[in-house]
Amino acid sequence: MNPTENDIYLDLKEVILAHENRNAFFINGIYYTYLDFAKAISNIRFALKNNTGKIIGIITNDDLETYAAIVAIWFEGKAYVPINPDIPSDRNQNIISEAGIETIIDSSETAVFPNIKAIQSKKIEPVAIDLEPNKIPESELVYLLFTSGTTGKPKGVPISKQNLSGFTKAFWDLGYKINEDDRFLQMFELTFDLSVMSYLIPLLKGSCVYLVPKDKIKYSYIFELMEDYELTVALMVPSILHYLRPYFDEIDLPKMRYSLFCGEALPLDVTTEWSNCLPNAQITNVYGPTEDTIFCTFYDYVRNGQNKSYNGILSIGKSMNYNSTIIIDEENNVLEPGNVGQLCLGGIQLTPGYWKNPEKNKEAFFNILYNNKEERFYKTGDLCKADENGDLLYIGRIDFQTKIQGFRVELSEIEFYAKEFLSKINVVVLTLPDDVGNTEVAMVIESKPFDYKDTIDYMKEKLPYYMIPKKVKFIDTFPLNVNGKTDRKKLEILFID
Amino acid sequence: MNRAEILEKIGTILNSVLGHSNFELNEELTAKDADGWDSLTHMIIITEIESAFGVKFKLKDLNKLQNMGNLIDLVSGKLSEK
Repeated sequence: MNPTENDIYLDLKEVILAHENRNAFFINGIYYTYLDFAKAISNIRFALKNNTGKIIGIITNDDLETYAAIVAIWFEGKAYVPINPDIPSDRNQNIISEAGIETIIDSSETAVFPNIKAIQSKKIEPVAIDLEPNKIPESELVYLLFTSGTTGKPKGVPISKQNLSGFTKAFWDLGYKINEDDRFLQMFELTFDLSVMSYLIPLLKGSCVYLVPKDKIKYSYIFELMEDYELTVALMVPSILHYLRPYFDEIDLPKMRYSLFCGEALPLDVTTEWSNCLPNAQITNVYGPTEDTIFCTFYDYVRNGQNKSYNGILSIGKSMNYNSTIIIDEENNVLEPGNVGQLCLGGIQLTPGYWKNPEKNKEAFFNILYNNKEERFYKTGDLCKADENGDLLYIGRIDFQTKIQGFRVELSEIEFYAKEFLSKINVVVLTLPDDVGNTEVAMVIESKPFDYKDTIDYMKEKLPYYMIPKKVKFIDTFPLNVNGKTDRKKLEILFID
Repeated sequence: MNRAEILEKIGTILNSVLGHSNFELNEELTAKDADGWDSLTHMIIITEIESAFGVKFKLKDLNKLQNMGNLIDLVSGKLSEK
């Protein structure tokens, strides 16, 4: 079956028109109907018509206009780059110039980037509804996301319409029966690709999207939405469970139908406790990097039965349809089940390659004969092994890339800015489990103690909040391991009280 | 314990968890007004308050918190149940 036989834009158009009186979004206590959404999309589209450039920026505010801008950009045959106004301006300027953005759709009262042409989406004249999408080849891009890079320069991951259509088809093939009565949680900042699943899947079925605004205490507001509005589908990062865990005994969500987790390792014991809070839900662990469009493997949690896990971490399961997974050794040889190696991903969801970055592309992508056909694969940097049934067990990261609150973080990028400020002083950035079992950033400075407030302030100007060290220690000289490398394990001990 | 005393005790906890006192400690204080008061520190602050006052909150109680005044209401309510 051709996975892209349906045009997702035409599907979106039809669903929006067929559900005019139903709620599409719930944002900060207010419902917006599909008709409100259709109007906002049409207005932004019209304003977008005279603008050049294939790549359009969107300021990621928590309002209807921001989501309407996504669909407006798509229907005009263009791609979006989400720009979080709370992230340091330097980093955003970097993204804007890398992506070649000439126009930004901005729902803020005052445009966030005064030096770039802004379409102020809350201030445009209303026009007639127009949801007829422009025809574009499936190879055209739909969004471009930037993730943490090693040298202080974010990496761009472009996703094509074929990638996204492939994801939606593979998702429906998993058997999810979503309808217009479903209520979806959308807890993700739009710069994080799990947001795409959390708004697109409901919008393709006429369901309602419940937003978690940025200024709320996340776990608390998520529970409030799930309980008070009886949400039926929720994709979350596992760190939310660590926060909710002390209160599991008072959580009862019988209306929840599908509870999905992605973005971090999902511990089996917490999942089992969580399953008691939602007696009627199917719990699924999904996995995938931004490069492979949202997620590409899945493992359904078994209630009252055996679950596959490794070191207490639930299996990430098998690849979804139209995707391939292989595990390789250091010489790119495919390994048999049972062997630990690097997980590589191929298939319809795989990005065409990093944005204007041939060097990174050479490192991360390679071709290999797979099922008698030459296929392109992406090296995830994740260590896995497959069991005899092909279910993947997650073991750990190969490099120093890590996940903080679900965001991908290169520790070397944090070190880069600390060293930039401290000039000749060496630093090592580590991750530690925090008090509730999540990951937090810590930094060791090779020096006699000094007041490091200026260093942190400088890093706050350069890096998003989740990359700022929460703990700092000093040491005269970094210990070395047998290979003569800084012994990071010994540095971790400094943080044990 | 009166409201001012509860406020003062919570203030000490905030200083130690957030690592600074660059905020105005009054009943109108919200998480947004204090640097570093995010989901994680919120959780730690709540746990510290629970142990300092010897009370246990429900998640439902915590959802409705808008500002320091609400938090004091919650604590004094729990204290009077004891």
